[in-house]
Amino acid sequence: MSGKLCLKDVKKSFNGRVVVDVGDVTFGNHRIEGLIGPNGAGKTTMMKLITRRLKADCGVITYMRDGFDDVVVNPHEMEDMARMGLVRTNQIIHDFASLTIRESLLLSLATDHHEKFYKIFNDKQLRKETEKEIEWYLDYFYFEDPNGHALSGGEKKLLDIIRCLVLKPNFLLMDEPTAGLPEDVTIKVMELMKKKAQDENISVLIVEHDLDLIWNLCEYVHFMAEGQVMIQGTPEEIRANDIVAEKYMGAAVC
Amino acid sequence: MSFITDSLILGVIQAAPLVLAAAGFTMIFYLNGFINVAYAESITMGAYFAIIFNTMLHVNFYVAIIPSALLSGVASVITYLLVFRPAFKRGVSSTEMIILSVGLSFFIRYAIQLIFGGLLYSFEVASPASVQILGIGITTIQMTAILLVAAIVIGLYFFIYRTNYGQMMRGLANNEELAMASGINPVRVSILIWFIAGVLGGLSGVFYGVFSFVNPSIGWSLILIIIMITIVGGIGNVKGALIASLLAGVVIAGVTLLVTPIYGEIILLVVFIIVLRFKQVRRVI
Amino acid sequence: MAGSYYFYIFSNMAIFVALATLLHLQFGRTGIVNFGVVGFFGLGMYGFGVFLIQLNIPYFIALLMAVALTGVISFLLGLVILKLDSQEVLVATLAFATIIADLVVVQKGVTKGVIGLGSVPFPIQAGLYSQHVFFIVVLIIAALLIMYAKKLEQSPYGRLLISIQDSELLSQSLGKKTFREKLIFFTITSAAMGLLGALYAANVHFLVPRLLGPGTTFTIWIALIIGGRKKVFGGLLGVLVTVGIFDFLVETYVPIPTGQAQLLPVIKMMVYGLTLLLVLMFKPSGLLGTSKKTTK
Repeated sequence: MSGKLCLKDVKKSFNGRVVVDVGDVTFGNHRIEGLIGPNGAGKTTMMKLITRRLKADCGVITYMRDGFDDVVVNPHEMEDMARMGLVRTNQIIHDFASLTIRESLLLSLATDHHEKFYKIFNDKQLRKETEKEIEWYLDYFYFEDPNGHALSGGEKKLLDIIRCLVLKPNFLLMDEPTAGLPEDVTIKVMELMKKKAQDENISVLIVEHDLDLIWNLCEYVHFMAEGQVMIQGTPEEIRANDIVAEKYMGAAVC
Repeated sequence: MSFITDSLILGVIQAAPLVLAAAGFTMIFYLNGFINVAYAESITMGAYFAIIFNTMLHVNFYVAIIPSALLSGVASVITYLLVFRPAFKRGVSSTEMIILSVGLSFFIRYAIQLIFGGLLYSFEVASPASVQILGIGITTIQMTAILLVAAIVIGLYFFIYRTNYGQMMRGLANNEELAMASGINPVRVSILIWFIAGVLGGLSGVFYGVFSFVNPSIGWSLILIIIMITIVGGIGNVKGALIASLLAGVVIAGVTLLVTPIYGEIILLVVFIIVLRFKQVRRVI
Repeated sequence: MAGSYYFYIFSNMAIFVALATLLHLQFGRTGIVNFGVVGFFGLGMYGFGVFLIQLNIPYFIALLMAVALTGVISFLLGLVILKLDSQEVLVATLAFATIIADLVVVQKGVTKGVIGLGSVPFPIQAGLYSQHVFFIVVLIIAALLIMYAKKLEQSPYGRLLISIQDSELLSQSLGKKTFREKLIFFTITSAAMGLLGALYAANVHFLVPRLLGPGTTFTIWIALIIGGRKKVFGGLLGVLVTVGIFDFLVETYVPIPTGQAQLLPVIKMMVYGLTLLLVLMFKPSGLLGTSKKTTK
């Protein structure tokens, strides 16, 4: 297992309302884990705390990687966490309006070494270095205008995921990755994630409302509601759990 | 000791026009969410309208204040209807709006210079009586300014918090769709706010002009300080604008007594940049 | 020499083209709304003048020192303001430029204030052709700058800057150190503005505080907005259209009765203001830009 996240006594409030209140949770003990829960449970907020997009009011979030020292998230900035291999795909659609698909991926793949203000002749070299990888993705996934921009919301969402994947993260948080994606693309993404989790050194935590996907893909599932991670277990355990049924799937039952 | 009281008193006098301008400015910033640099020209226009009435048409100074302020209000509404509202509708971003307002500011300022020339104008006021307070002579004009400011601040407070229109303005500023759904006419409320802001700017210009000279750049020379006062005091917060203006006035007065007025501006601007760094520019109400 | 008048104007135009291109790099590429262009320009201008004339430092060392001074101060300013949002950056840089202009007036001992500071000679002395040679120098500098900007567009660093402008948050989420890069780039480009200021000093020879008024910043902005802020050649086109038309064509060729001559700069500013307004409302991406709404 490549990366682990440990949250202890982590709290976050907005305007006096407690949005996240997590006592003691560890993510990453299994290769692919799921995080489910009703809207407003605090899933995205918790993810933002982990990637340091937001700052927790209190508590300790620790990021552990094989071969590296444990890192306490709080004192760092979001870009530092990403550099350490902790990456989150976006729930809402985010894109660089001015960059084409390829340019977006080139941006993601470029390192400090490439990005210096005095290095303006190194584009060819960067493209050569990354050609194989970029073409693989453009081949595997369909884009209407692969030499141009991502056109639909779905394409932008997909591009967001690929951008994160080429960073070669150790721990990838996927925040509702399939919302906005057509079904065939969803299947492809999930197959790819399964393969990557197996072959490469990557831990994945997926937030999803598509429960079939979760049962199918994840070895372990966390259930979150009202800011707390209430139940954790295998997919079978979660499906059979009464509280989960009441708080989340209860709407369908009535 | 005398330096401190001198600074305080002079500071209050200096602050009077600033408070007026800041109050008007903060309302527009609060309502529309962008820094309207062209507001500087409301100040300048107020002064020049008063010059027209007072110096050219020989109307008594105190009487001339009224039409000058009203005309500034009207001019402000015209800029809203002709420039800013169409710009909003065309989807101009807030950053571009402020750049646009700089363009408008230059246009109006140089138009004024074209019409009136770069000469300095002065008001025709009879030698005013003065009162001695703690060793400083305060003229009746200055007293009028201070009293007027006090009255207006109180009036504005009432307006924003106690009247229907004030409530509508706050509703509109916080959530335009919801406000419109509740039957608030955004254009009418906006026109009223821009009018009031223009009147305040105009009044500010008249009094600023009477304390020194009237030239096309008086508004522009004040706008940065006004922006700072608004940010320090809190956007939309009239009380905050009052306190910040007093502070600014005292600093300028104090520094002027020690060295030259320009250092006062330099210090305030440096403070401004530091304040920007540490203050969250957010809507207060 | 009659011809040297034209080359004097052309030299100033070339300097302005370079300034507008630098603003393109700051605003059009990175999203830094620098309304204090004349502050950095003036720092370089007066810094150079003071080092050269008041302190008798050798020419090119004084030049380098002026650029370094501008760099250091822009670095410090950047540290303070580059985390702010766009409106705040605009106002902060405007305040900065005002501070510089005020300091120049008020520190009479150093800058000679409104009396003026002179005289700064050309860098290369070539007898009657000094002005022409100078023009070639600034032309080359402007051209190099435009070429740099063009190359930057299709380079990893350029894409990084664009990503910061489009969505700084998204860029950070990919691990980009956006604040550091903004700071470095801001410092470099502002120092370059200082260099241009020093060159300007070498062209006008005699420095007065009036040169540091907001009119210069405004002229550069309007030029860039008209030309197209995101376009490498936006600055060039914009300066040709604004300064070229007004300061050159109109002033040189349009017969204006002498009584009215002093109205021309006033009318110029009015037209600039009006044009800025109209362009931002109807074609914000400028003459070279597309009509598509992809601007932030």
